Amino acid sequence: MNTVEKTFPVFSAAFALIYIVSVELNWALFTYHPKIKQWGWLVEPSRDGPPMYWYGWLVTSALGAAAVSAIALPLLKNRPAPYRLGWIVPLLVMISVGYFFRSFFLR
Amino acid sequence: MATFLVILHGLLAVALLGSITHQAIAVVLPAKSKAGFFNAYRAVSSRVYVNANVILFLAVALLGGVIYPIYRVWVRTYLENARLYSAVGAFEVKEQFIAIGLGLLPLYWLVWRRPEPGGDSARIAVTLMLCFIVWFGFIVGHILNNIRGFFGL
Repeated sequence: MNTVEKTFPVFSAAFALIYIVSVELNWALFTYHPKIKQWGWLVEPSRDGPPMYWYGWLVTSALGAAAVSAIALPLLKNRPAPYRLGWIVPLLVMISVGYFFRSFFLR
Repeated sequence: MATFLVILHGLLAVALLGSITHQAIAVVLPAKSKAGFFNAYRAVSSRVYVNANVILFLAVALLGGVIYPIYRVWVRTYLENARLYSAVGAFEVKEQFIAIGLGLLPLYWLVWRRPEPGGDSARIAVTLMLCFIVWFGFIVGHILNNIRGFFGL
């Protein structure tokens, strides 16, 4: 296994963590306005109809996770791949999703 | 066009559902004997499903992303007007799970394509998590697609 592959668990953990923070703090790299089919940079309020941030959150998370993986690259050179980190963090984030979105089910 | 894409999204999701469920059961309850349906179902080589599952997950998520604006503008507005907040919430949770699943794909590929003793528990965990995400997404998508019939609207 090469060192780049060893960062895959780091990527998965960082992606999940950055994603849930992006959702909660709305760190979308861009906004899509589906009704008028227009894109805008960063978080924009509604132009016409509901704005969509999901695509922006995905890109924020992918870029952030790639950056974290790049930082982790030299640290993992002589160490085993941190497999456990790669699935425990996303699992905890999945559980937290239920908490963050509980208001939909409590109305 | 939107109807065609929703049907294609659903059909690919069915293929992914079958494939990842087969793999998950084979990795959690492996069998050596192929005698009988259940043993034969469990006695497959789990590794051969990996690339297909990654490609199907990406394809289903991509198609979901393409048809998502229609849901956001028309369907979600309808659900909110009908006060079906739990249905809206279920889709929100599905959306977040799919995103987390996309982030898990590199690890999923790694633990299956480069099996190491230290990765055994990760292999089982990641496969079960993706299997759960696919089942959750499929059931929520199916209910929302038929919501008027389910709730008699």
